[in-house]
Amino acid sequence: MRPFIVIFKHEIFCLFISSSTYIASFYFLTLLGVGFHFFLQSFAYTDWILPPLSSLAIGLFFGAPALVPFLTMRSFAEERKLGTLETLLTTPIAPEILVLGKWSACFFFFIKICVLAFIYPIILLFLYPEQGFNLGFTSIHYWIGCGLYLLIYGASFTAIGVFASIMTKNQMVAGMLSFTLITLYISLMALSTSAKKANDENPKAGYDFFEQSLAPFTNGFDKLEQFSVGFINLSTIFHQIIFTIFILILSSVQLNRLNK
Amino acid sequence: MKSDIKPLPIVEVLNLKKKYGNIKALKGISFSIGKGEIVGFLGPNGAGKSTTLRILSGLINADSGEAKVCGIDLAEEEGLVKQHIGYLPENNPLPEDLRVIEYLNFRSQLKGLQGSRLKERTKVVLEICDLERKVSERKIGNLSKGFKQRVGIADALLAEPRLVILDEPTIGLDPHQSAITRKMMERLRGEITFLISSHILSEVEACCDRMVILSHGQIVAEGTLQDLQRTFVDKTIFEIVTKGNKIEIQKQIRKIDVTCELILDDLVDITGKRRFAFSTLNGEKSAEKIIRHLFTAKELKVSEFHISRPDLETIFLRATKKNWEEKTIL
Repeated sequence: MRPFIVIFKHEIFCLFISSSTYIASFYFLTLLGVGFHFFLQSFAYTDWILPPLSSLAIGLFFGAPALVPFLTMRSFAEERKLGTLETLLTTPIAPEILVLGKWSACFFFFIKICVLAFIYPIILLFLYPEQGFNLGFTSIHYWIGCGLYLLIYGASFTAIGVFASIMTKNQMVAGMLSFTLITLYISLMALSTSAKKANDENPKAGYDFFEQSLAPFTNGFDKLEQFSVGFINLSTIFHQIIFTIFILILSSVQLNRLNK
Repeated sequence: MKSDIKPLPIVEVLNLKKKYGNIKALKGISFSIGKGEIVGFLGPNGAGKSTTLRILSGLINADSGEAKVCGIDLAEEEGLVKQHIGYLPENNPLPEDLRVIEYLNFRSQLKGLQGSRLKERTKVVLEICDLERKVSERKIGNLSKGFKQRVGIADALLAEPRLVILDEPTIGLDPHQSAITRKMMERLRGEITFLISSHILSEVEACCDRMVILSHGQIVAEGTLQDLQRTFVDKTIFEIVTKGNKIEIQKQIRKIDVTCELILDDLVDITGKRRFAFSTLNGEKSAEKIIRHLFTAKELKVSEFHISRPDLETIFLRATKKNWEEKTIL
């Protein structure tokens, strides 16, 4: 446990002293805040059926391919480039603990940015309590649903980012790879949603097999609607945890392969 | 009852092999290092030095063979072995953004130190490596190469390792900084075992008890400097400075040792002093006998006498050249 805490604390410190993290967080939160502001202004004129709070979760979800690489790209890539990964691996610390510690730090920072983003509705609720109530900002189940959704997908996205960082010595390549992989994952989810809709209209043979095997990992869009109204789907949480663990195991395997 | 049990060597390597694809980096090397020794690991580029050091520090696995550190098999208990090793890699990679004290605190915690023990060891290594006062508060990126090297060595010494592996510890350092590194190792001689890989042969000659010379993945020489001199340099060379007659001197020398040959005849100064160099196959004892005889013969007017001991560079070139030639023949 102690080595994990040492690595975790050190990585958090490194993220805090890194200027790229602040720049990425500032721009991301600014864009998110501006987007949320315009969304609320036009909310009454749209046919948006989900609670307005879900727009923040959606913004963070779709913004993750841009945000997560800034958090994860230097976790292993910079260490490999500098050569400090070798000195880390000569200490009596298991590579798995190293992966877990660095991922935890990136995930923690992602959660921190999500928490900062959710300060917007809190500020609005404080300044305009009546409007905030009408917009559903006082419904705790909306907060829990959106928060859990971001937690589980944030975990898997940051795991993908750490995996991408292990694959290369170049931070920019790690960032691009992370962006590509997360975007691919989101695209798979979009395809899965389209495929489900198409199958509902026109059932196809073989879709049931896909539904049972891969869909639990790629039906994120469908589940967003449920989570944002406070309906917690435990199987989605379970599948995302499995997926995150799988990516972290892949990362550990790759780290073990690197020097052997 | 007297115990005949010998202390366990700190490092035991037996028939270690390692391949990178089709390239055989190590072809079955075996050596051991005793407690408190400072051993130099030499060889041309591509000889397998770094591969051996990386195997011993647990970074890579050997393909076959046995490697033990402090009696613990690396293949079975890698984590346990790493607790006994301090490692300074080549080029000494360090994070530039951290301060020296922050970096050493982080490394101490990684190596399992905590609380008062952590503070105590950090203070000790800062003192040993002369990094106290202002240097410890500075960012590593702002330090000179010499100080960065000392930070790397301080890191290697943090957890009181029994074996410290230094890969090119003095490369890029000025003579003053190299001397500080040597002094540091001398200070710890006997307490800690050092395994040093270096191309700077004068440094190795100055501080190492024994040398292991690698070439093409094999050990071509091993032993103290004296052992290596005996093995690789079959002739002893001695010089005399004299005003005496060359023919007479040669005659007197041949009375003691018929294998002596004149290899150098130089004028030293305008007074007529000349420097003669002779080689003998009969070693230093013969050379010493000759000097005693020459000094008793006052008419030869010998004013100086010097036995040349072949340096490590000569031994290195001969040992690795022999290996090169054997490879070519084969």
